[in-house]
Amino acid sequence: MWTKKQQLNISALTRRGFLDSAAGGISGAALAFLAMQDMDLRAESLIPVGADLLPPSDGARRSFDNQPRDTHHPPKAKAVIQLFMNGGPAHMDLFEPKPILDKHHGEPYFNEIAEDISSPQSAGGLLKSPFKFKQHGESGAWVSNALPELAKVVDNVSFIKSMYNNHPNHEPALFKIHSGRLLPGRPGLGAWVTYGLGSVNQNLPAYIVLDDPAGLPVNTVQSWQNGFLPPVYQGTRVRSEGAPILNLNAEKPYPTGIMQLQRDLLRRIDEEHRGKRSNQQALDARISSYELAARMQLEAEDLLDINQETQATLTAYGVGEKTTDSYAKRCLMARRMVERGVRYVQIFMSAQPWDSHTNLEQSIGSAAGKTDKPVAALLTDLKQRGLLDDVLVIWGGEFGRLPIAQLRDKKKVAGAGRDHGPRGFTLWMAGGGIKPGISYGATDEIGYAAADKPVSIADWHATILHLLGLNHERLYFERNGLKEKLTDLFEPQIVKEILA
Amino acid sequence: MNELILESYRMRILACLSVVLLGSVTLDVTLGAEGPTYEGDIAPIFKRACVRCHSTSARKGELDLSSPHGLFKGGESETTIVSGDSEASYLYELVHEHMMPPEGEGKPLTKQDVATIKAWLDNGTPFADGRDPKSFTEVAEVNQHDIQPIMMLRCTVCHGNRRQEAGLDLRTRASMLKGGKSGPAMVLGKPTESLLLKRIHAEEMPPRDKLLPSGVKIMPSGELDKLTRWITIGAPEVEITPDGASAEPDTIVTDEDRKFWAFRTLQPILPPAAISDFQGTNAIDLFVAEKLKANGLMFSGEASRVVLVRRLYFDLIGLPPTPAEIAAYVADKEPLAYERLVQQLLASPRYGERWARFWLDAAGYADSEGKRSADPIRNSAWRYRDYVIRSMNADKPYSQFLLEQIAGDELLDYSDPKKITSQHVENLIATGFLRMAPDGTGSDVVNSVPERMEVVADEIDIFSSTVLGLTIKCARCHSHKYDPIPQRDYYRLVATFQGAFDVHDWLKPTAVPGQSNGVMRTRSLAVATPQRVSEVAAHNAAIQQQIDLVNKKHVIMVTEVKAAYFGKQLATLPEVIRGDVAAAFAKGADTRDEVQRYLVDKFNKELQLTGKQLAADKNVAASKKATAAEVTRLNAKKDAIEPIRALWDRGDPSPTYLFVRGDFQQPGRLIAPGVPSVLTNGKTPFAPVPLTVSAEGTGRRLALAQWLIAPEHPLTARVMVNRIWSHHFGRGIVSSIDNFGSIGVRPTHPELLDWLSGWFIEAGWSMKDLHRLMVTSRTYRQVSNVSNEILAVDPDNLYLSHMTLRRLTAEEVRDAVIEIAGNLDQKQYGKPDAVKVRGDGLVTAVGNNGVYRRSVYLRQRRKEMPSFLETFDLPQMNPACQQRPTSNVAQQALYLLNSTMVRDLADQFAVKVADMSSNDGDKSAAIKNIYLAVTGRTPDETQLQQSLEVLESLEDKWQQHFDSLTEKERQQMQLDAAQKALSTFGHALWNSAGFLYVD
Repeated sequence: MWTKKQQLNISALTRRGFLDSAAGGISGAALAFLAMQDMDLRAESLIPVGADLLPPSDGARRSFDNQPRDTHHPPKAKAVIQLFMNGGPAHMDLFEPKPILDKHHGEPYFNEIAEDISSPQSAGGLLKSPFKFKQHGESGAWVSNALPELAKVVDNVSFIKSMYNNHPNHEPALFKIHSGRLLPGRPGLGAWVTYGLGSVNQNLPAYIVLDDPAGLPVNTVQSWQNGFLPPVYQGTRVRSEGAPILNLNAEKPYPTGIMQLQRDLLRRIDEEHRGKRSNQQALDARISSYELAARMQLEAEDLLDINQETQATLTAYGVGEKTTDSYAKRCLMARRMVERGVRYVQIFMSAQPWDSHTNLEQSIGSAAGKTDKPVAALLTDLKQRGLLDDVLVIWGGEFGRLPIAQLRDKKKVAGAGRDHGPRGFTLWMAGGGIKPGISYGATDEIGYAAADKPVSIADWHATILHLLGLNHERLYFERNGLKEKLTDLFEPQIVKEILA
Repeated sequence: MNELILESYRMRILACLSVVLLGSVTLDVTLGAEGPTYEGDIAPIFKRACVRCHSTSARKGELDLSSPHGLFKGGESETTIVSGDSEASYLYELVHEHMMPPEGEGKPLTKQDVATIKAWLDNGTPFADGRDPKSFTEVAEVNQHDIQPIMMLRCTVCHGNRRQEAGLDLRTRASMLKGGKSGPAMVLGKPTESLLLKRIHAEEMPPRDKLLPSGVKIMPSGELDKLTRWITIGAPEVEITPDGASAEPDTIVTDEDRKFWAFRTLQPILPPAAISDFQGTNAIDLFVAEKLKANGLMFSGEASRVVLVRRLYFDLIGLPPTPAEIAAYVADKEPLAYERLVQQLLASPRYGERWARFWLDAAGYADSEGKRSADPIRNSAWRYRDYVIRSMNADKPYSQFLLEQIAGDELLDYSDPKKITSQHVENLIATGFLRMAPDGTGSDVVNSVPERMEVVADEIDIFSSTVLGLTIKCARCHSHKYDPIPQRDYYRLVATFQGAFDVHDWLKPTAVPGQSNGVMRTRSLAVATPQRVSEVAAHNAAIQQQIDLVNKKHVIMVTEVKAAYFGKQLATLPEVIRGDVAAAFAKGADTRDEVQRYLVDKFNKELQLTGKQLAADKNVAASKKATAAEVTRLNAKKDAIEPIRALWDRGDPSPTYLFVRGDFQQPGRLIAPGVPSVLTNGKTPFAPVPLTVSAEGTGRRLALAQWLIAPEHPLTARVMVNRIWSHHFGRGIVSSIDNFGSIGVRPTHPELLDWLSGWFIEAGWSMKDLHRLMVTSRTYRQVSNVSNEILAVDPDNLYLSHMTLRRLTAEEVRDAVIEIAGNLDQKQYGKPDAVKVRGDGLVTAVGNNGVYRRSVYLRQRRKEMPSFLETFDLPQMNPACQQRPTSNVAQQALYLLNSTMVRDLADQFAVKVADMSSNDGDKSAAIKNIYLAVTGRTPDETQLQQSLEVLESLEDKWQQHFDSLTEKERQQMQLDAAQKALSTFGHALWNSAGFLYVD
């Protein structure tokens, strides 16, 4: 195993990475060797080596793979972990205190926002937040007591509080936030990023989706689709339990030794075949794809083996605790992935935990309870390992919620929740290229709509691409004679104020 | 692009909420004698530099700069000028950035010109005669063309051509004045007395409960103001001729535009003379030879028979040749053996199953509706798939194929059920071509007008990319940036389709269960031949008879049980009354006398079984259950007329307006049906074909279809010939097969393309003839080897110096594996084969005990694409796919190595091979068979020896494994160690390049 692993990583290994780490205080041959094993997986492996890279992406490509490519401009972030919060977290209960809601609690506000109310029959008056707000850290960021762990590390993150989406229903809003348009069939952000940058680790998929073992999110697999991009850019579902990747291992495994015999046979036949056909690049590429498949089988198992982590790390994330265990494992796996050079990791939750239509306090409490500790631990862990400089962490859902109450039963105000609010919501980003401690933009005084410096989803997408060294205008794919882009025909503005 | 509008529209509302909306034209008029004026300075600049393209007649970009009215009105783009603010004026941006006048179109503006324009704008656009610039921005008085679009959006779905609720039709001034049951809808000059306005103000209209099912939204105040104003001023009407092609030369698209290579009418062309040393087999080779020679290249040598036979099989039928077929061809020493093989393959029913696929990709064929996350199943889409396969197999002329798909409903009269022939049915199924786009409008919440417009836009996009090889969808919002396709021409096409795609008279796709379907019909037609109708009726009647019998048996049984009980209970009564009681019960209820009625009343409970008692009777219950099961079983055997998902002209379409910036709320001028002007001579009116066959249709699409298949059409033949070429040679003569426009790639062999196009038309548009011509050429028969010399001069094979090596397509890989294993079910046509979706996302065919049909018959739901095919690049249709990408990823290796289906098929293959091969311990025959079946080659001596060694080791390992098993486990193994070794060996070859690539 040891030698195999060595072999796997040799391509990603750089001498400088090793020397730096040795200089960084590691002593002893074994430790250095260990560090060599790990270091190529750390920061260094995330930095593409200019000269060895393929030219930056544009639409003129004819072959499609995940070989690392140069960026359009120097990148600030080299990998992304997207913590997707399905359902629409209520910004006015988590990050944006709206005292005016306390003051006017219960007063009718229907007509003003009638257009956005999907279920008029259950619309109540203005609803104050059941949570208490305080400013935290040196940045003085507002975080409610729903997210106590995030509050402790909040100086690392920057908020955009003036996001808006364009549809009040989950499905179109999800398509929008993942792929830039309200409809299915277009490539998601992760697909675009891997199309643009490839991956420095060829032994693992470039774009990984860690879905919830409890079930798929709304819009299911369409949330990580490749759309019109070639399927190589589709998010690969890696399961945190059971067999990790589709067909990674056979359901009917061959007995010992047979696999190896078969592999050797195949390699010989293929090399012979290629030998008789000179100058056929496709055949070279195919042989290496079989080698990759073999390496992927080995590395994927190692990747997901979180037992290699210390008990302290496991405890910090909340592994083993009933409420947090599932999400904690996925956060930890995400860290192990970006360490190994996986370009884009998305963590999803089953269905939509943040869709708080009823029992607001309980509903938000439940979603926050599952995620708050693991998310905070992930930030801390990435920072401690020096990865946060290179890894962009994104937290947020598809939209926010309305300032008024949603009442299934008009008499039971206690059971009130909030309906979807697409016109204003908050999300936060941390790490690679983000200036920490910023709070950008705001919704209006009741939290209904983005009012101060509104940020569209196209703006946000362009900003993420920018951080990764990609220009949203230059990252395109030619289809039907058109240059298709993530930001389509929108004319986005990069949110410069949150950039470091 | 409408979503863009929708999205920016939403943001506009948002802006209104947050801030007070400022007037978009801010006037800060400082009239000074020194500053530039319109008459003195600006008009001359425009006249000199702009009006050639932006005049009243030649209105490029919908902009007319020949008068101040046109200037202030603006064009397609956002506000052309803002008085008092040059920076906010689009016109200034364009001239300042030297984007206008366009390069090569007259002299550029001087710095002084630009400065003058800036000063004039910043000064508030003054006029020398002191006219107030405001007067040009005032909106003209409303007329019926401002009102009609509003009525269509809000009212006519219930008060229009299909339905006149309360006898009211709100489509025209006259019909509004006539009114309905409650009187006239409007009183001229008196808005407060007009019923229409009263109802709207009272929020009675449009009725709130009908909004969702009819896809109508409430009238916004701006529209209401317009309507009020119109009624107030007496509902004036103006005479407007819809914008359409006429005998007058087109001024927007010029003859200069028509000179671009792809827009030139097809001209007869002669092949070049033969060149010595470049001898070919047909004219294709003459054209190719010329290019080769010019680039210092030669033809590569002819591929061996073994290579050719495999190439031809995959190319023409998408399946590998069997070892016997290879042997037969290699042994066939007749001079025309190759041509005969071509002939034989083109005649195979497998041909259509392979060649339908590229057209189905282009049409966007899928078995689901798409657009929404639910992605409902599209039940009868498969009939269109079958139509394409059947047409290909029958070698239906491409002209006929197009006619049927674009205007099948207008070719024959299908209104009389007694006169329906199979051709009628075929024609209607063919129109499914225009029903393939993703469509969410089955769900009420996403069935509003802009969402329907998206569907129509996708259909027009599919039509133009597939048939015209042009991307015209950008012209929906603005004139095409690169090709001479003005926005006007896009809407002329919209008008051409409007008889069938009328967003104001919509037909729903598959309806969402539980939603109101009352207002809108669906797009299914139950048209069938009388023969089929009576067949179904007879079949169902026979089954009904059986059902009746089964039911009757049960009734008799119950009657007997009842009678037995009656008899038993009667015996308990005093004997003296038994006779009278029995007689009373025996009589019908209405013929009993008073005494008898009394008796029945009194003894009813005692003598008759209650329903409850009856149900409790074991025999009755058993019979009831058995009967119900049998009836259900029989009912399931009943047949039905298969619905056709068709497109048909419904007649009387709503008028078509050009939408400014594609925004449905900004209707521009009225547009007549037509086709892109650049593809015509620019002075021929577009005349819908008067339909002799049906009173209903407009004949617009029939005219479109007939125009397409006219021999002089510049694109129809070129585009199709190029498509077919690209599938044989791996690359089109025009490599952008769906874009023949100016940003498409120029043809590598333009003369060849034109010659082939002419030949194709001469050959009666026969696709099989075209295949035959291409695959019998010397060019096609070359080896695929890339020598160093070729690598240096022709690495991308632009000159066709060799054959291009290609990977099998998704369908070919899967079908070949199944076929080689001997498990391919050759059954053609019909409902798509079921798939199962596993929790981890694996989508596989259910199959029939390991037997599968070809991949083209597998259900293709957009959100559940079969994993095998998707891994090998089967595209998701959103809306369609003109050209598949070929990717090379580890997941493909993992699939072929580890998929359970593939491993099971390898076992089947091994059993088949073991049966075929001699059983004397020599495995050579088995190895040769495997090699031949999988790669089309026999192994050479070294390969054979090595293979024998590997096979032996494999067998040893398997034997060791078998030995380690318990007796019980061993019994469960269906194969022995020798067979397992063959299975592993064959499985390895399925993963080899020799299998996956065609030389």
